[in-house]
Amino acid sequence: MEYVSPEGLRLDGRRPMEMRQIRAEIGAVGKADGSAVFEMGNTKVIAAVYGPREVQNRSQQINDKALVRCEYSMANFSTGDRMRKQKGDRRSTEISLVIRQTMEACILTHLMPRSQIDIFVQVLQADGGTRSACINAATLALADAGIPMCDLITSCSAGYLNSTPLLDLNYVEDSAGGADVTVGILAKSDKVTLLQMDAKLPMDIFENIMQLAVEGCKAIANYIREVLLENTKKLEHRRGV
Amino acid sequence: MVMEVEEEEVIVTPGEILGKTTTFVPGRGAYAAPNKTIHASLCGRRSIISASPNSPDQKPTIEVTGHKAHGPIPEPGSIVLARVTKVMPKMASADIMCVGIRPKSVKEKFTGIIRQQDVRATEIDKVDMHLSFRPGDIVKALVLSLGDARAYYLSTAKNELGVVSAESLAGATMVPISLTELQCPLTGQIEQRKVATKAGEKQLTTGNQSST
Repeated sequence: MEYVSPEGLRLDGRRPMEMRQIRAEIGAVGKADGSAVFEMGNTKVIAAVYGPREVQNRSQQINDKALVRCEYSMANFSTGDRMRKQKGDRRSTEISLVIRQTMEACILTHLMPRSQIDIFVQVLQADGGTRSACINAATLALADAGIPMCDLITSCSAGYLNSTPLLDLNYVEDSAGGADVTVGILAKSDKVTLLQMDAKLPMDIFENIMQLAVEGCKAIANYIREVLLENTKKLEHRRGV
Repeated sequence: MVMEVEEEEVIVTPGEILGKTTTFVPGRGAYAAPNKTIHASLCGRRSIISASPNSPDQKPTIEVTGHKAHGPIPEPGSIVLARVTKVMPKMASADIMCVGIRPKSVKEKFTGIIRQQDVRATEIDKVDMHLSFRPGDIVKALVLSLGDARAYYLSTAKNELGVVSAESLAGATMVPISLTELQCPLTGQIEQRKVATKAGEKQLTTGNQSST
């Protein structure tokens, strides 16, 4: 099957180095301390952060750091076929662990000892790149909750089909069987916190794809920064500062 | 001690560089990275506070004020308002509801314990807990310390600390008549408590101001 036409257009009309349209909204869940909705093309994800609050399970309390917990789940209606049993299956557990480790790398946990930070991410619509969308949404939600972080974490995926590096794969391109590289970076410090790949790639091509994904992450970071600045200005205006 | 605060129009996001550790000291909302730069850790407005005259290195503090307000937290030395939940022979348990001289309510539940020796300043081993507090009383107490894993340690060992409001057996709010007695306005019945006196309250406010 042809994923990149001879003219250089992908199945959804994008160019190989073009990312899908991104949209973010802060404060969607009123009750949570911080929340955000993040859309990458057709993939739509909602994240809610509760914390820092008292640890619910005393045995898990850490004396000098905050405990970070993360739960990833997909809504029944998120994919084409209505699914059952979303939580507790292996893919959800793995992605929960991945998101938790990624976010824990940037939260300044030593400032909040003996407390707990809960990150809940739910996929409302899945069209490839859910992992990246979840990390971006979690970053926004943590910033909205006022939890101190050392930097903004953004994530993007890239792949290799028909001998062309492609940025931001959607579901059809992802299930094509080619390589899928997901990268998460600390935006300003330029450090990698997440790097995952399916399938195999020769080393030089892998470096190309990873560089492409990192550039995608930086573009998302610029957008996220603008959204946060605008949100802060709006909140100050409402408070009458 | 008046600190000069310079408020700017700059809003920053987490990770943005604010300055170098050679010129500034990172305050709340900012942290120092290993390569000697200061980064923001919150979303908010950047402000610079000039150094106090008695600091050793005379560097101004740079900090970021976020927009999310977290509830107040009891600290050792702060005055709290708590509701007594359990009275036992050697101590009383209370739920802390407000913190501060101008009380602000807490967002999360904090538990405090008033031990027998902390109820009053004199004759501390002859204290009868049931004649000092009853479940449901509102008490004003001082936080002694963070206590153990379960509760803060509170003290009412001053004239201005103790029961501020209590309900009598008849259901009416009682009126204080002395340091150890409250009277019900409906039935005239006198009940024993460790009462907080209003006269001591002014002393409490000025005492706190001079310490800051």
